[in-house]
Amino acid sequence: MPKYGMVIDLDKCYGCRACMVACKIENNTPEGHFWMYTFRLEEGEYPNAKTTFLPRPCMHCEDAPCVRVCPVEARYKEDTGQTSMDWDKCIGCRYCEIACPYGVNYFNWEDPKKIQYVDGGDPDLQAVTEGARPPYANPDLDGRYGEKNAHVAGGNHLKSVVGKCTFCIHRTEKGLDPACVANCPAFAMHFGDLDDPESNVSQLLQEQVGFRLLEETNTNPRVHYIGGSPPSTDAHQIEAVKGKE
Amino acid sequence: MATITAQGRRIDVSAGLVAWLGVLAALIVLGFVNFIRQTVDGHHLTGLTDANPWGLYLSGYVFFVGISAGATIIGLLIHGFGRKDYAPLGTRALLVGLLSLVGAVLFIAVDVGSIPRMLRLPFLWRNETSMFTYTSATYYLFGLLLAVELFLALKITRGQASSTEKSLTKWLAIAIVPFALIIVEAPHGGIFAVVKAREFWNSPLLPPHFVSAALLSATAVMVLVGAATSAATGRRIVGRETLSHMGILLAFFIALSAFFDFFDFIVFSYSDTITGNTAWHFLSSDHLPVSIVHVGGYILALSILLFKRGRETPWLTVAAAVALIAVAAYRYNLTIVGQAPPLLPFLDEAKYAPTWVELSITAGIVAFMLLGYSVLTRVLPMEEPDRTLSENETAP
Repeated sequence: MPKYGMVIDLDKCYGCRACMVACKIENNTPEGHFWMYTFRLEEGEYPNAKTTFLPRPCMHCEDAPCVRVCPVEARYKEDTGQTSMDWDKCIGCRYCEIACPYGVNYFNWEDPKKIQYVDGGDPDLQAVTEGARPPYANPDLDGRYGEKNAHVAGGNHLKSVVGKCTFCIHRTEKGLDPACVANCPAFAMHFGDLDDPESNVSQLLQEQVGFRLLEETNTNPRVHYIGGSPPSTDAHQIEAVKGKE
Repeated sequence: MATITAQGRRIDVSAGLVAWLGVLAALIVLGFVNFIRQTVDGHHLTGLTDANPWGLYLSGYVFFVGISAGATIIGLLIHGFGRKDYAPLGTRALLVGLLSLVGAVLFIAVDVGSIPRMLRLPFLWRNETSMFTYTSATYYLFGLLLAVELFLALKITRGQASSTEKSLTKWLAIAIVPFALIIVEAPHGGIFAVVKAREFWNSPLLPPHFVSAALLSATAVMVLVGAATSAATGRRIVGRETLSHMGILLAFFIALSAFFDFFDFIVFSYSDTITGNTAWHFLSSDHLPVSIVHVGGYILALSILLFKRGRETPWLTVAAAVALIAVAAYRYNLTIVGQAPPLLPFLDEAKYAPTWVELSITAGIVAFMLLGYSVLTRVLPMEEPDRTLSENETAP
């Protein structure tokens, strides 16, 4: 059984956010929810200022704090190392959001369909969109995936449950890369079996010294960064993408 | 004034009582309507966000679980330490404990996304490593123990209890204290303390801090219960010496909680981490009014209680009310400020302010508890008739 992980080459990433767009289209995530988010950061002062980029999917931690605190085991680890969220079990307590040090969880504060299928309150448009599957909705997400054959991938996003990056489990089960990896124009993102020394991700980690976010929290993330360094303490976000206000 | 009969007891129904119950009923209806709105439309009607996912409901939850657990101390005073002068408060304390537990569970119920799924905890669905699983299991047991103890206490006040039942009541009252404080209340501190991502909470001192705050809030509530009962019935239900003793207890628990708070504040004011700095910044800026109510409340209540007159009515009642509000401010600050520091160092601080929907639902739950107390203390026998003290009588 492979143990999936991701390697992100920060030296190659130029912050185009195509990964964010690919994730939204692939996973049909509600407005304001970014299962993949690329931070654009500014560090230092003029004339020594620089801009860096930091793509942040779910870290699919080996010792995931969200899995430990979820009271109903809605959050669990797959044999493949992915951290899954069973939407049919989530009680919406948001303890996973509290426990996650990376802020990758998104609670559906309202019915995703209301804010996802934007009709602007136009009664003519509402008549068309009511009950219809939007053309961009991915039917693959309606399936059941993972070792528990559970509702983990998206599809009809539910109100009052927590969603997050699945490493595109509906794609990885077919041998495909996650959408963010497949659509990165800079080839900055790599996906594969971290337990296989011959895999592309293992090779990259053997070639370059990488880092993982917030190592001090001992969560053992399965997302590694190479070609850069962790954001400095004076880094601040620029050009933030915000959700619905 | 009208009189009705319920459970074989004559109940005087004054205009004031009707107005009081009417206000509580109106608050319950308003809260329920907004709860339905929140259920149908979603929690976006609250001020909660993904950056600050816990708010007023969670604060209310930990506040009332604290009162519920702390209220058991009255039984220990009566049966463990032989303070029979507390007996008139014994049954009331159990009722307060039970109603507070119900209120706390209601706060969790309005906070979660799905109540039917929540009710599967911990019997059908459970994760043994989650503090929520553990605490949900303890509610059932604690609620059962409180209900049995209340049932037996009511039999005693009716004069229908056998000697075995009296003995059982005594040992249950003694055993329920460590159960409430160690098995029920301390793990509520654990819910926060185990979260490594939130440095403000991630401390082994939080569970004992929760216990001291629970004892403080429950003692304050029982002082207020005594005062309110005396005012409502026009007779003193506990003597001056008992009140003074409660004042000393209250002062001790305030001092103990303030001790924990003092070192919390010191640690964060000296912190060189973003979390510590942000927490301190929040406590002393955005949350300054709440911090003042919290810290200032302790100082004011303690100052009143240091004087002998402060441990007599009406000052004792004032000190108890101030201390109770201070604990509520502590619970609120703890919940909200703990989430304020950014998870990743380059993010902004999380901001939160409760909406009117949250405030009205919170008011509705509190009104539900008060209504339950107001009705049940009139319907059920709360004390043995010969325990009632006259206005000038002091306790033994």
